Amino acid sequence: MRVSHEWLGEMVDLEGVEPARAAELLTLSGTEVEKVTAYGVGLDQVVVGEVIGLRRVEGSHHLFLAHVATPGQEPREVICGADNLFVGALVPWARPGTSLPIGVEIGRKRLRGIWSEGMLCAPDELGLGSEHDGVLILSPHDAEAGMPLDRVYPPDHVYELEVLSNRADCLSHWGVARELSALLSRPLRDPDVSRPARSASGPTVRVTVDSSADCPVYLAEILTGIGNTPAPAFIRRRLAAIGQRSLGGIVDLANYVMFEVGQPLHTFDLNRLSPPEKELAVGVRRGRQGESIACLDGVTRELDPETLVVTAGDAPQAVAGLIGGEASAVGADTGEVLLEAANFNWARLRSTSRRLRLRTEASSRFERQLSPHLARAGADRFIHLAVRHLGATLGPGAEGGAPLAPAAAIRCAPRRISSILGMQLSSEAVANPLRRLQFEVREAGPEMLVTPSPYRTDVTTAVDLAEEVGRIIGYQEVPGTLPPIHQAPPLEALAEPVARLASAACRAAGFSEALSLSLVSREREELAPRLIGDLAHLELANPLSAQLGSLRQGLLQGLLLSAHHNQARGQDRVRLFEQGAVFWARGQERPEEPWMVALLDLADDSPEDGVSRLRHLMALIASLSRVGGGGAVEFRPVTWRALHRTRAAEVWAGAELRGIVGEVAQPVADAFDVRGRVEVAELRLDGWLKPGGLPGHAAPLPRTPALVLDLSVAVPTRALLGPALQAVSALGLPWLELVMPIDEYLGDQLGPGLKGWTLRLRLRHPERTLTTAEGDAARQAVLRVLELEVGAKAR
Amino acid sequence: MTPVDLQELTAMALEEIARADSLERLDEVRLRYLGRRDGLVTLAGQRLRELAPEERASFGQEFNRASGQLRSALEARQRQLAAGEEEQREDGEWVDMSHPFRGPGQGHSHPVAGLIREIEDIFAFLGYQSVAGPELEDDQHNFQLLNMPPEHPARDSHDTFYLSPPAYGWLYRTHTSPVQMRAMLASPPPLRIIVPGKVARRDNPDPTHTPVFHQVEGLCVDRGVTLGDLKGTLEYAIRALFGRERRVRLRASFFPYTEPSLEADVACAVCQGSGCRTCLQKGWIEILGSGMVHPAVLRNGGVDPESHSGFAFGMGPDRIAVLRYGLSDLRDLYENDLRLLECF
Repeated sequence: MRVSHEWLGEMVDLEGVEPARAAELLTLSGTEVEKVTAYGVGLDQVVVGEVIGLRRVEGSHHLFLAHVATPGQEPREVICGADNLFVGALVPWARPGTSLPIGVEIGRKRLRGIWSEGMLCAPDELGLGSEHDGVLILSPHDAEAGMPLDRVYPPDHVYELEVLSNRADCLSHWGVARELSALLSRPLRDPDVSRPARSASGPTVRVTVDSSADCPVYLAEILTGIGNTPAPAFIRRRLAAIGQRSLGGIVDLANYVMFEVGQPLHTFDLNRLSPPEKELAVGVRRGRQGESIACLDGVTRELDPETLVVTAGDAPQAVAGLIGGEASAVGADTGEVLLEAANFNWARLRSTSRRLRLRTEASSRFERQLSPHLARAGADRFIHLAVRHLGATLGPGAEGGAPLAPAAAIRCAPRRISSILGMQLSSEAVANPLRRLQFEVREAGPEMLVTPSPYRTDVTTAVDLAEEVGRIIGYQEVPGTLPPIHQAPPLEALAEPVARLASAACRAAGFSEALSLSLVSREREELAPRLIGDLAHLELANPLSAQLGSLRQGLLQGLLLSAHHNQARGQDRVRLFEQGAVFWARGQERPEEPWMVALLDLADDSPEDGVSRLRHLMALIASLSRVGGGGAVEFRPVTWRALHRTRAAEVWAGAELRGIVGEVAQPVADAFDVRGRVEVAELRLDGWLKPGGLPGHAAPLPRTPALVLDLSVAVPTRALLGPALQAVSALGLPWLELVMPIDEYLGDQLGPGLKGWTLRLRLRHPERTLTTAEGDAARQAVLRVLELEVGAKAR
Repeated sequence: MTPVDLQELTAMALEEIARADSLERLDEVRLRYLGRRDGLVTLAGQRLRELAPEERASFGQEFNRASGQLRSALEARQRQLAAGEEEQREDGEWVDMSHPFRGPGQGHSHPVAGLIREIEDIFAFLGYQSVAGPELEDDQHNFQLLNMPPEHPARDSHDTFYLSPPAYGWLYRTHTSPVQMRAMLASPPPLRIIVPGKVARRDNPDPTHTPVFHQVEGLCVDRGVTLGDLKGTLEYAIRALFGRERRVRLRASFFPYTEPSLEADVACAVCQGSGCRTCLQKGWIEILGSGMVHPAVLRNGGVDPESHSGFAFGMGPDRIAVLRYGLSDLRDLYENDLRLLECF
């Protein structure tokens, strides 16, 4: 919302208060000033001229030559490109030697052989808004030739405000003036709402409100003898300053009052309200199915029982609080109006506004819980101005709704305010800022009774008062402290340290950390390898697009997209990991949110290199499990959707499947537009790794020498090492400390269908050195079990 | 042989030692002069007993001096030659040590994830524990228990993603605040927690919006917690994050779940507060929303607002990362471009 400094100055003394200072005070107290713009500053050198002659410049399609006059001076010739000039127009004339507020120096210029004496200005060239449609045409009501332009446009500043959603009271100059009055501790001057006695003659009005919950207050006032002549200059100037166009005296006045006191008003042409009766019956009721109304913006809107309408003789005349009807609109010939100042239920208005996809200045005020007390102030202010400036006579009026409850007093102890704010404040220090806000404060023993301003719907409890005191005193005055510690803090800084552990392990192994949106395209994710098998995706009911329409079930599709992104930008080696929650549907139950980590290693290299990268990945998984307290892992070869037929394994820890690892199948890599071999893993960490806590048990270092034996065997080409090693471990050989592969021979010297393994056995007796015979016995035992398990032959 | 002859012999030997250009040649020289059986100097020494007793003493001295001199010369030359041979061997193993050798190295942190870890560590100093909560929520926890009944105007800024079918009532949390409620309901005060996590709002992606982003929520509930404590805590945390010298200001605001409510701004790093494009001419950049937990919210969390009070705050690490690292587009954070990640 925009407010004018000059306009505010009418309600609170701003003498000596720089706009930047006022902006800072407002911002810190909650009404953020996004921008302050000078409006009409430095216009004293520009003069009002009258166009007394006008012709097209010869040989030009768009240039005009105007003869511009000021009293007592010879008319001068000015060339102008705007086509809205006419003889008799009053225009701002920057004569040679003038410097305009936007920083332009005006000189005498020769154009097409004619000397042009200065420039006729458009609003934007004068710093009067952004309009550049033509020369600013001044109204003879406001200006006369020869007058300096600052008499018409006194210097002003316009604030652009971001009003908080609970502060409907600040959506007006009066409201902002109330804030400044409290912040500056200067008296508030309320707008003049005095009004004449009613004339008894003429038509009368009656108001029927169906539900005072829908419409707490409805004031109807008849004004006769009103002329729809232009509103006074100060009103039009102020409206222009805040970016409002002039729409005729009556509508300008209604707008002016809305921006001044904050109460939206509507004016009906009394004679167009159908049917004309002796007593006009105005009603506020719900719409009916099948009813519709042609609105002021030319759109016909269907009504329904959720929509509030204002009726005359039961015929809909306006969508309450949103927009008026075309049929009863005020026009140039309007002479009598019915003024509406009402308050409508904010929640109902919000839902209507959303359903009709229409938001107006009026509705945006109502839907923020505007105070119903404002209706009277708004009506009276309009009447005051209409009588004074548009020649209106006040006729009969009527009211509907329920009697307004006065603002309720809040009981609160100054000590409580102090303890909320963390300041030592006396009763007076608490009462003073509240009084400055037009709140009524009465002492009641050690407590006080505070009645907020009736225009503030947001202040109802003691903590609300604490906020008012705090923001008016200024939070910069609150001393910064730290809360006392009454009880020992938790022993661990991270309730779930697994994420930190996994991230550190992956980074240490050379993988960089990725983060992706949790919203995915279902089609694309269904292509990617996932730990979860066939499970319907969780879908958004209101997605932004199908690309972001489903919740991710795994992390690999995100990493594959990132791999493509990087490869397309010239990265030939991409190593990424991501961790985060994924989402698995469970019918009506709360969806499951497993915490996963996925890794991806991409290089454009040979099949053998792919295997070595895959093995690094598997080694990382094994060490992550060990470090994270997850125990030894076992890789079980498997065929897995979207992974290479023979390069995929399940990751088991104990009796639980924890993840998958493998090479992405070529067609899948192609689908993600990734070249080369992509090695990936996806692991579910929650329920598996439990790092932290007290250190586990460590074995003391052995003091006796080990007996190390290497054993070479020939086995069938597709023999599996994992089960073979497990079989050896399961033997339970005494003193066998370790068995591990140290070499694999894939050459053809062993004959077709065979490959060679060299296994290293490490035996150690805790107390003595083992003998060669004991070593040989162990070797024989291992050989026998390998023979049984995988058909191994010694070589 | 006289001492003079011995001197000459020594001089010859020293010259030959100096001339020996390999360990092999040096050993030949050693054998020629100091060989145990027929070295020339050794033989000269054997002459000692042929001398008259009065000459023996001076010749003996001379002999010891000469042979000592030769031995140390031999040793020195030997060390010299050995070092030279090692040098030669290493010269043969030349590598280009100016090669940048791009190897695997360490992986890099994601700027947002790294920042979250940093925020967790800052608050760990103050006794806050980092906890997590579900990303999918119900209307109760995300809105109603936080003082945002249906149709509440503050819901406008929380344009929500609902899950299909809507009848099941699940939504993607619009902030991390529901975890406050879960934490209060799970354990009685005192409570000091920090809650990092993903949230989602229905905003089309643009330079300042992504539909999914991160928040870090903080909550402190105890006896006698004041707004001054909130201020002190935020000032500490913000200086820890943005540097000791950075100016911070608190400004009144509105959130339905806090009262009083405040927002924290830091002075714009680009213009130091004088106004520029980055801060939209404001001189300040908003980084955090906070306030004293609303009594109704405490009550909903099973905490008695008469005996306890608390403060809460929430910040956006994505936005802070963009500010702190001078990035220009929030969407870049989710492309995982290694050229960006490798900066961290």
